[in-house]
Amino acid sequence: MKHRAGTVIRLAVPLRALTQRFAFLFLILSAFGLMLLGKAENVMMERLRAGVLDVVAPILDIASHPVATVTHAIEDVRQLIDLRGENQRLRAQNTRLLKWQDAARNLAAENVAFKKLLQFAPPPRAQFATARVIAASGGVFVRSVLLNAGKRHGLAKGQAVITGDGLAGRIVSIGDGSARVLLISDLNSRIPVLFEGSRRRAILAGDNSDTPRLVFLKHRGRITPGERILTSGHGGVFPPGIPVGVVSSAPDGVNRVLPFVRADLLEYVRVVDYRPVSSEPDIEAVSSVSAGTATPAAADQDKKAPAQ
Amino acid sequence: MITVLQRLDRVARSLWPFVLSLLLVVASVLPIQLSDFGRVAPNLAIMATFYWAIYRPDLFPVLAAFVLGLWLDLLTGAPVGINALVLLLVHWAITSQRRFFQGKSFGVVWWAFALTISGAMALFWVLSAAYHLTLIDPSPVVFQLLLTIAVFPFLTWLLARTQHVVMRQG
Repeated sequence: MKHRAGTVIRLAVPLRALTQRFAFLFLILSAFGLMLLGKAENVMMERLRAGVLDVVAPILDIASHPVATVTHAIEDVRQLIDLRGENQRLRAQNTRLLKWQDAARNLAAENVAFKKLLQFAPPPRAQFATARVIAASGGVFVRSVLLNAGKRHGLAKGQAVITGDGLAGRIVSIGDGSARVLLISDLNSRIPVLFEGSRRRAILAGDNSDTPRLVFLKHRGRITPGERILTSGHGGVFPPGIPVGVVSSAPDGVNRVLPFVRADLLEYVRVVDYRPVSSEPDIEAVSSVSAGTATPAAADQDKKAPAQ
Repeated sequence: MITVLQRLDRVARSLWPFVLSLLLVVASVLPIQLSDFGRVAPNLAIMATFYWAIYRPDLFPVLAAFVLGLWLDLLTGAPVGINALVLLLVHWAITSQRRFFQGKSFGVVWWAFALTISGAMALFWVLSAAYHLTLIDPSPVVFQLLLTIAVFPFLTWLLARTQHVVMRQG
């Protein structure tokens, strides 16, 4: 018995070292294996992601509240300091916007009349769900946020995520009570867009910088910095006419877009449920979604309107 | 009965390094809506792995580093496995050099941390670029690297405090 115990100990030490080394190698290979599975967009990996996020979402939901409270307090102090300046800016903006309001009312009335004349078939209606951002990716090469709503709340993969300012991103992975939003600046983000004035089409491709690139531009020609970019609605997942950003000046010859939405300041977002095939179109829903869309002629009038 | 409770207590204390690291990763993904804060948060996962691999590798085995990496990947939406691989290698590098750290001053440990995380982030950048098959602008990585090195003393102090309080009897 004593002899046997001695043998066990003599064998156990190198065995342990061997298993440890084996475990390390096994884990390294597992990490590579998981990366390959993820790259191949394996269904199991998708489920794993969604499952884990569903479990963590309630925790993040609770934990993000105090963080939001603190950041709000800091923002409040900052705003108090700049109150006078802000007030002045808002007054100036208000005067400008009132002119726009007049212009918009006139155009809306005109638009309704024209649509009646043309027997225009309006695009399908869109519905919205509101969700709160409960986690931002602290990672350096991923631009995504996590929402506290999922399938249970009517969200689905591919839907557009917007704020009052414009397009923020789209849903890429979804669980029952959580969803991951890929922001437009992420490396993997590709969004069909068009120029508001010239109606030229392009793809907005994220490259991990704050200003995504415009690629696959149809009809090469001059691009004026400052022109607005909207979603084109091609592909049928996104409603057309969501404001995305403005063309920024291109020092390196690459056409870039400065997005309207500050992705690092997202708190509440709206998710657009847009169904391209719909039996009962609704004019009111259309006017709320495609407020930014306009025909070339109308766009020209838009530009002139405030000067009148 | 008391022995069972004591045993439970001991298990809870020995799980502490791992659980605390998981919680640190959760804290690092919470959204902070401050306009000049930026998106890049310090890499708390590498810091925690580095710390526990030096001071309590018995309570933070290589499997813990792997799971922590997966946890980070799943929470941040990074390719699953990428941070797991980086943390595994950090853990391996530190535990294999453990003798070097014994009795060294904090300055030396900090310097070693700067070296380790530089290597780890460089690897992370290469892996990310290979995964996405594009050249990625490395500036966010450099920024995160500097931020993490700067935050290291504070986190070390925090971890040392909790180690002192929670594992005094462990």
